[in-house]
Amino acid sequence: MEQLFNIDFKKINSSNDKEAVDRKKNFELFLKGGLPNKKNENWKFSDLNYIISKNFKNITNNDDYKFNEKIESIHDFDHNKVIIVNGSLKSYDLHFEEKEKVKIETLKSLEGFHHQSKNNLDYLNKALSIGGFNLEVQQNYKCKKPIIIYNYFSANLNNKIINNSNKIKVSQNSELTLIEYNICEKSKFFKNTFEKINIDKGGVLKNIILQKTKCNGYFYKNISGTQNYNSSYQNFILSSGLKFNKIEIDMILEKEKSSCHILSGLNLSKEEHQEIKTQINHLAPNCKSYQKIKNVLENDSKGVYQGKIFVKDIAQKTDAYQLSKALILNDQAEFNAKPELEIYADDVKCSHGSSSGSIDEEAIHYLMTRGIKLSAAKKLLIKGFLNEIFDNIPEEKIKNFLEKSVAVQIDEIR
Amino acid sequence: MKKEEYKNQEYKYGFTTEIENFKAPKGLSETTIRFISKVKKEPKWMLDWRLKAFNRLKVLKEPNWQKPKYPKINYQDLYYYSAPKSMKDKPKSLDEVDPKLIETYSKLGIPLNEQKRLSGVAVDAVFDSVSVATTFKGELDKKGIIFCPISEAIQKHPDLVKKYLGSVIPISDHYFATLNSAVFTDGSFVYIPPNTRCPMELSTYFRINASETGQFERTLIIADKGSYVSYLEGCTAPMRDENQLHAANVELVALDDAEIKYSTVQNWYPGDKDGVGGIYNFVTKRGACRGRNSKISWTQVETGSAITWKYPSCILQGDNSVGEFYSIAITNNHQKADTGTKMIHLGKNTKSKIISKGISAGQADNTYRGLVDIGAKAKNSRNYTQCDSLLMGNKCGAHTVPYIKNKNSSSTIEHEATTSKINEDQLFYCNQRGLNQEEAVSLIVNGFCKEVLQQLPMEFAVEAQKLVSISLEGSVG
Repeated sequence: MEQLFNIDFKKINSSNDKEAVDRKKNFELFLKGGLPNKKNENWKFSDLNYIISKNFKNITNNDDYKFNEKIESIHDFDHNKVIIVNGSLKSYDLHFEEKEKVKIETLKSLEGFHHQSKNNLDYLNKALSIGGFNLEVQQNYKCKKPIIIYNYFSANLNNKIINNSNKIKVSQNSELTLIEYNICEKSKFFKNTFEKINIDKGGVLKNIILQKTKCNGYFYKNISGTQNYNSSYQNFILSSGLKFNKIEIDMILEKEKSSCHILSGLNLSKEEHQEIKTQINHLAPNCKSYQKIKNVLENDSKGVYQGKIFVKDIAQKTDAYQLSKALILNDQAEFNAKPELEIYADDVKCSHGSSSGSIDEEAIHYLMTRGIKLSAAKKLLIKGFLNEIFDNIPEEKIKNFLEKSVAVQIDEIR
Repeated sequence: MKKEEYKNQEYKYGFTTEIENFKAPKGLSETTIRFISKVKKEPKWMLDWRLKAFNRLKVLKEPNWQKPKYPKINYQDLYYYSAPKSMKDKPKSLDEVDPKLIETYSKLGIPLNEQKRLSGVAVDAVFDSVSVATTFKGELDKKGIIFCPISEAIQKHPDLVKKYLGSVIPISDHYFATLNSAVFTDGSFVYIPPNTRCPMELSTYFRINASETGQFERTLIIADKGSYVSYLEGCTAPMRDENQLHAANVELVALDDAEIKYSTVQNWYPGDKDGVGGIYNFVTKRGACRGRNSKISWTQVETGSAITWKYPSCILQGDNSVGEFYSIAITNNHQKADTGTKMIHLGKNTKSKIISKGISAGQADNTYRGLVDIGAKAKNSRNYTQCDSLLMGNKCGAHTVPYIKNKNSSSTIEHEATTSKINEDQLFYCNQRGLNQEEAVSLIVNGFCKEVLQQLPMEFAVEAQKLVSISLEGSVG
């Protein structure tokens, strides 16, 4: 591990001496345990240690945040813009919103960043985090337009590691749609992000994660959050095109009537490995959670879904659902799932389903008898399979945009 | 539903039998193993095999990933061999068997006595560490079927034992399997010759009687080409306030076109209502479908034991082979179960089906843990899994931990799981028609388990149905 990581602490700014000492301590803790490997139950299907060691020989930290190009914006719908370059907040434009209602700034300190799920990447993040953003929506304010975070990664990031941490707070009765749009140049790097979400009473957060183009990035993202009374969290994951991507979501439904939706539609192709790991903790009665994970696996790609629903004994009337479906298009592709239930309350409705297999031959036959070519028929069915994810997005323009970006990916399928 | 104080259901088989026992020295050591081997008059290769396992055991660590946790077992404080004294010189016929033993088995309702041949089940009864008697030998011999204690098979059929023992569960498999390989005392051995359909159900009855003993039996069933056998297994133990360890190994081998049906009704002593005592049932069961078109079907009704921790598995090696697993696991009071199956698809066109029903009441914890692994070469394979859990009260838990791996595009895996409580409407409907709460629950639960119960052979199905009702008695108020 020490040979693999060649870290220069001088490149990282620490706000005070204590922080600098803490960073070194955390880094030592990380080196002791190393990158998670398949012996760790949570990493059983994605051996990060193997993947990183195989693809990286010498990893250094990045200190270049220069940015002179122009990012091509999305024109499909009006939105606020936040630009992040190599993990660091560069600029923002929130002109659609009222002043002082939505605040964004660089995250200054990692204090209060206690993660619900511990792993060694947490130490690594705490040691090397360059900050990130701190986003807050004030009480009783419903954002007029979505915020798009243009997450730009420059071309000179080869063999670099980026660690950042973000905080998102949605206050009482406020609403926010946050779109994370990753744009990568062709460089091979490793990104390790920890994100903390707090949704207060009656708050609504819609979070969409997607990838502009294919990229050589190795991403890990840990999202942990708490939800108050009657709050809602909806996460749409469409970020395919990375070499490795693991998104870990740990949500705590602390108070009654909160709901959590996680929907994911992924289309993985050559040498891609993607894992979605979720843990939804129902700690209060009358909460709802819904998860739908859809994977299309081509070539030698590997899709993994590990989901867990935990229901505490007092969390009666819980309604929790988990569904994972995979279309395996090639014999080299692989799908692994571990949909888990841990239930201690009796008056609940909890179920999960998982299926994996190839495209329905009969449906193909049906389409072909109507004059549609095999490849077109396949694409049509895949499109239908993935587009189901967007049913929960009411905004027509955003939906169309997402459908369009998925269609681009599907067209690449041969 | 009103929740009352949970009553404890009297454990029917909790009596002990005062029989003088002949025991091995306490503790796990090479001496104990040599002692067991000597008492069993085993050939040298068998002793070597045991010692090899013992050496391996020294390196292995006890697994700890399971959901139910238990206090550390002191392996040096156990007797590894205990036999009724009268068995030391093996009786030649049933008449010579200690009448007390016969009495014990008749109390258990086991048709040991050949007079009860009407029941038509060939029985091999294992009492503590030795096999007591095997019935219907003559009839089976005629067909060339070997059904005898494994200790006898080691002496009389060494070639078969050598060839298959440890071929499904290797001696270095995991801690408890290796422990069993080192110290197993007895168990059943079944060999069905080619193209033979076993004319009757074969059955083994296990009973732990002596205190401070562990029971380590080993069962090996081989179904040669084109044969069929249905095997039943039943277990009970006396009520004692200590925890007793039961670590058995069961190996099944099905060759071309052969079929093995293995049914278990496990009713070891579950401990009292406060969770004192009871059996730790840590069993390794595995079947290999070696041949083409072979089939192995596991059916289990798990109502007893303080902790049940077992995963009857199928390795589907032969093309077109089929694996099935039907399970009912009922936990009440402080019982804990972590059970399920593994279906490992290696051959082409292999199929597997898993139906698991878990019921928890009282403060019990019930976990389904399973693996479905379809390998890259297992083209056109299929799996269907359904695991349903029923919860009674909010002090118990139901958990589902399936592992699903699919490595090729022509195979399909389907998995479904639900967790719920007994439907109030159904209860109301039954009450309205004059059934009391308990009868209604029993009826609904039996309906919930029906898919599994109907897989059991006739003799067992009736008993199992009663057992399901009894196990839950007092769990609803």
